[in-house]
Amino acid sequence: MSFDRAPFARLSLTAGAALFVLAACGSPETGGDAAPAGDVEAGEVNLFTARHYSSDDAVYAAFTEQTGIEVNVVEAGGDLLIERVRADGERSPADVVITVDAGRLWRAEQAGLFQPAPELEDALQAVPDNLVHPENDWFGFATRVRGIAYAPDRVDPSEITDFTDLAGEDWRGRICVRSSNNVYNQSLLAALIEAEGAEAAEAWAQGIVRNLARPPQGGDTDQVRAVAAGQCDVAIVNHYYVARLERAEDPADRDVAEAVDFVMADLAGRGAHVNISGAGLAAGAPNRANAVTFLRFLLSAEAQRAFAELTNEYPAAAGAEYANPVLEAYGEPQADPVNVNALGENAGEAQRIFDRVGWP
Amino acid sequence: MAVTRPRRRFDPVWPAAFAALVCAAPLLAVAALAVFGPWTDYMAHLIATRLPAYLGHTALVTVIAAGLAALIGAPLAWLVARYAFPGRGVFEWLLALPLAMPAYAAAYAWYDLTQAFGPLGGYVPTVRGPVGAGIIFAVTLYPYVYLLAREAFAGQSADAYDAARTLGESPRGAFLRAALPLARPAIAAGLALVVMESLADYGAVVHLGAPTLSVGLIRAWAGEGAVADAARLAMILVAIAFILFALERSQRARARQSAASGKRRPPRRVRLSGMGAALAIAACAAPVLLGLIIPMARLGARALNAPLARDLMDSAQNSLFLAGVSGLVAAALGLAAAYALRSKRKRAVFAARLAGLGYAVPGSVAALGVLGLFGVLQGWLDTAWTAVFGSVFPALLTGSVLALIFAYQSRFAAAAISPAESALARVTPNLDMASRTLGAGPGETAWRVHRPLISSGALLAGLLVFVEVLKELPATMILRPFNFETLAVTAHNYASDERLGEAAAPALLIALIALPPMIWIAKRITRGEARTEVTK
Repeated sequence: MSFDRAPFARLSLTAGAALFVLAACGSPETGGDAAPAGDVEAGEVNLFTARHYSSDDAVYAAFTEQTGIEVNVVEAGGDLLIERVRADGERSPADVVITVDAGRLWRAEQAGLFQPAPELEDALQAVPDNLVHPENDWFGFATRVRGIAYAPDRVDPSEITDFTDLAGEDWRGRICVRSSNNVYNQSLLAALIEAEGAEAAEAWAQGIVRNLARPPQGGDTDQVRAVAAGQCDVAIVNHYYVARLERAEDPADRDVAEAVDFVMADLAGRGAHVNISGAGLAAGAPNRANAVTFLRFLLSAEAQRAFAELTNEYPAAAGAEYANPVLEAYGEPQADPVNVNALGENAGEAQRIFDRVGWP
Repeated sequence: MAVTRPRRRFDPVWPAAFAALVCAAPLLAVAALAVFGPWTDYMAHLIATRLPAYLGHTALVTVIAAGLAALIGAPLAWLVARYAFPGRGVFEWLLALPLAMPAYAAAYAWYDLTQAFGPLGGYVPTVRGPVGAGIIFAVTLYPYVYLLAREAFAGQSADAYDAARTLGESPRGAFLRAALPLARPAIAAGLALVVMESLADYGAVVHLGAPTLSVGLIRAWAGEGAVADAARLAMILVAIAFILFALERSQRARARQSAASGKRRPPRRVRLSGMGAALAIAACAAPVLLGLIIPMARLGARALNAPLARDLMDSAQNSLFLAGVSGLVAAALGLAAAYALRSKRKRAVFAARLAGLGYAVPGSVAALGVLGLFGVLQGWLDTAWTAVFGSVFPALLTGSVLALIFAYQSRFAAAAISPAESALARVTPNLDMASRTLGAGPGETAWRVHRPLISSGALLAGLLVFVEVLKELPATMILRPFNFETLAVTAHNYASDERLGEAAAPALLIALIALPPMIWIAKRITRGEARTEVTK
């Protein structure tokens, strides 16, 4: 075989790196009613998750180390996840379902995929009410802010304190944003519908389409690059893409980050638009107790720290401590107090508005 | 011993048709959803707003993809099959390799290269929109045309071409008027694959901003939660695929008489030197550069500045295992379906055609069909098992490797059927009759007459599915067992999270894994030809 030695050398490197991360995050502080470490009878917990970040591996490893519970994972897109859990019905091995968008959680809940977990009530005290499902079916454990990246040499931050500013005439040909297929755009518009009503939201979307500097293309990072390259002056993006560029190893990426600033614009005067990575207890969870232990662990100090430090997300639990200079520079988001459940309720309407105004 | 009348031909029709139907089942499940699913006002909304644009983009993307793929694939196949120039033997298999590059990965890389802040930004137009997507599909999928056409050209008797030359045609004219028409069925089969795969793509068209019908379909599902409407849009794709098959079949029918020549004289390769050789090398190198080397280099450059993806070796093993098993199964199923087609019995042909349609539909739709099907199947199994043993069926069908392999067969049957069908077309009814006259039974005829003629086609079928499965995403993502990563899933997870660097290593490994079987089969096919030449 042609690939014999080098990959294995790299593999051991990876393993080494993973161990390092594990050591960094897995402080032996035991949280709550977690099972004793090393218990071989502790069993397993099955996750269906739409996340695939490096922080997650660290969190799973720390969880297993602390509780002895093995973590089994299937990662897939949110809609596919919902479909699989639904198709398997009572036979589904899913214990915990995780998505990276409140709209998907809403749909999963509508499909009857969750059950309430009263045991978590005390842990959820630390999470702001608007990040928790009204009936405690799911909760956000990390948040991402959709804001505005801008070129400081061409834009004064005072011009973009609110998303609604961007729909005005003076932004003609200056905005970059990705396709409306993207769920973060859908949730942004859904939040605006909740705040201002469908009509105002449609007018806003129409304004954005009129002001586009170029047809939507690429991901959020590509929009930031376009701002840096001067193709547009502002881009609507999630904060962690900018943060990742700032913290990148690639000097070219850091150059891009150097050329842009990021602001957490208000959504119609209500605060920053916040979306969640959220989790819920699966309706038929075969390992219910372990699932609850895991869900509690997501809100533990070390898990919250891992999300903030490894994937640049904001911890959902109040008072979680972390060291991430970029996030500290952005400051804590002053979030729109609307319950994120509304993002799901309005997602369908948002999509139709996008279709009508021709936001590709 | 009773006098038995040997059957005229080896035609295992019913097993073949059954195999084809199994492949078609997930799509039939989706069709059922389209017909019986709830109607909302979403369809009306879609027709009033985005549907025309989706259709327009779909047409533009596929026409560009097919046109360019034909322009790249067919002439290069001719060049490699009929000319000798330095590096020919290498290009023979190298030209097939862009197939190993997932179209979405090529799209990410090319967009990254040519966008405003990229290294080529400002020098070349940004690869984007329907035109950009069409080009990406052409440079990554042309090998379908190349592989099938190369086989056709190499297997062609030189008589027609030589006759045209004797009648005063230039080499170009003889190629266009004699050789090309003879290879038309193979080229049409290759193009059908190119078009269907372009139709089914989601990742590349979304990234490049060329929303096609498959985007509309996923959007109906993801944004609106209208699964039934998504299934209805999938049926449009299926209809397009059906029309493609009909067109391809008419090509095949037209070519039938001309191919039935008696004596076959193997072609001799024309030696190129100097300028001609240089041009030939450049022509062969260009598509490999565009479809494979340049995107790989871009991904590789990004990989240098990124941590290595985790569990790469495990992913590679899983990918190899899935692709290997699926390739073997597909070779057998493809052959079975080709026999069903050859039988010309209406229902058998219909079943085989049905099996091929899954190729035009995004993998997530195939996955949806498999999920629905398995949900029902599991219910039956559980009920039956409970009645007999008092407990539910011990295994869960989804999340098993079996489910994955089944989904792959459903999704990629067309890639397996086309080469097998092309190969089986060489086995003319006359051969069967000759074999019978010489006293061979149907089994012996199949083994001694069919097998040598169709083995390369079956191998090609297996290889195509092998590579497809290496690249496959949505079905793998959703049906796989716990803790089961594949290279494509790993690459996609990073790429969709806009981490090109980390996506590069697994994407590179996909191409590397595809390489050895590609080389092997290319050599094997050439050897097979050499043997036929000697026996003549």
